[in-house]
Amino acid sequence: MEGPEQQVMSGGTTDSVVPLFVAAAHELKSPLALIRQLSLSLESGDYTAKDIETLARRITLTSERALRLTTNLTRSSRLEDSLFELEPLNPVALCEEVVHELEPLYAAKGRTLRLAKRSRPLLALANRDLLRRILLNFADNALHYSEGDSAVVISAQTVGGHVRLGVRDYGPALPANLWKSLGSSLGVHAQPLHSRPESSGLGIYIAHQFAEAMNGSVGAMRHRDGATFYVDVSSSAQLRLL
Amino acid sequence: MSVLAPILIVDDDGWLASQYSRTLEIAGYRPFVAANALEAMDMIDKHHPHAIVLDIFMPGPNGIVLLHEMRSHSDLANIPIIVCSNSASDIPHGNLAKYGVMAVLDKTTMHPDDIVTAVRRVLP
Repeated sequence: MEGPEQQVMSGGTTDSVVPLFVAAAHELKSPLALIRQLSLSLESGDYTAKDIETLARRITLTSERALRLTTNLTRSSRLEDSLFELEPLNPVALCEEVVHELEPLYAAKGRTLRLAKRSRPLLALANRDLLRRILLNFADNALHYSEGDSAVVISAQTVGGHVRLGVRDYGPALPANLWKSLGSSLGVHAQPLHSRPESSGLGIYIAHQFAEAMNGSVGAMRHRDGATFYVDVSSSAQLRLL
Repeated sequence: MSVLAPILIVDDDGWLASQYSRTLEIAGYRPFVAANALEAMDMIDKHHPHAIVLDIFMPGPNGIVLLHEMRSHSDLANIPIIVCSNSASDIPHGNLAKYGVMAVLDKTTMHPDDIVTAVRRVLP
């Protein structure tokens, strides 16, 4: 019997079934089409100064989304010939940075992104840039697929000796059969998540690669009213020495 | 004074939907926006749209599910549909015609005014 919350973990090889460039083209199509429509609308004139400001802001924010993806792709392609230094870092502070960075986009969409409160200190061993990119990816995805007025929540906690950073959304629940197929393929290759159809699965694939480069892993938990996508990284021993 | 024809826009991208809405409003229609297929069914019951501008790939039940649902209701089966999608070139247009789809617009190449042209074309 399936519980209310189910969990899948990444694993397996990184052989790509769907060519990355096809997945990348698919993912970029949506923001580029939006930028084009907004720009054409601006060209047509007949807007108030306030409207123009709003449209320009939307173009900027949408461009930034697309640029995050392209940067992730270039970073992902260099993983094999790059050494990513792991350092002790405060995961809560990193989550705060991500919340701060995405706040304008969330606000422009009338949504809220917040950090779950935590009293006990945490120290993770990870690469700051890769971990930040994973969280930005998850939080950007959550914005697109969450519904209602509930805030998307980023949290940091210890789970089984690891530090887990998770992004909880309140979107459409993934059907059980698709959840099972996600379990066998999460992070293995880019593939569509059918109840999240604008996604080619590229984001989760890149997140998996970034996590692997830090000896970490990505996973997801299915809830009745959404999902939590998370990354597990090593806990730093330094905190225990303090 | 003639009553403005209600047009339902179904698209999960709120920013794009608001642009369609504005364009249709300026052209003299009365647009409504639904962010997903479930919301669309409620709005169809409430506003009785004369035409529907429909995105296909949306979270939850997608545009195809909505088309199926509408076909199962005799009073909704004849509402003209304009599909508006990023993947228009990948959609087999012939299969959509039986669902009342009378026009397909490609979001990646269309001009904002194309939405008005398409609505004018499908309305009786």
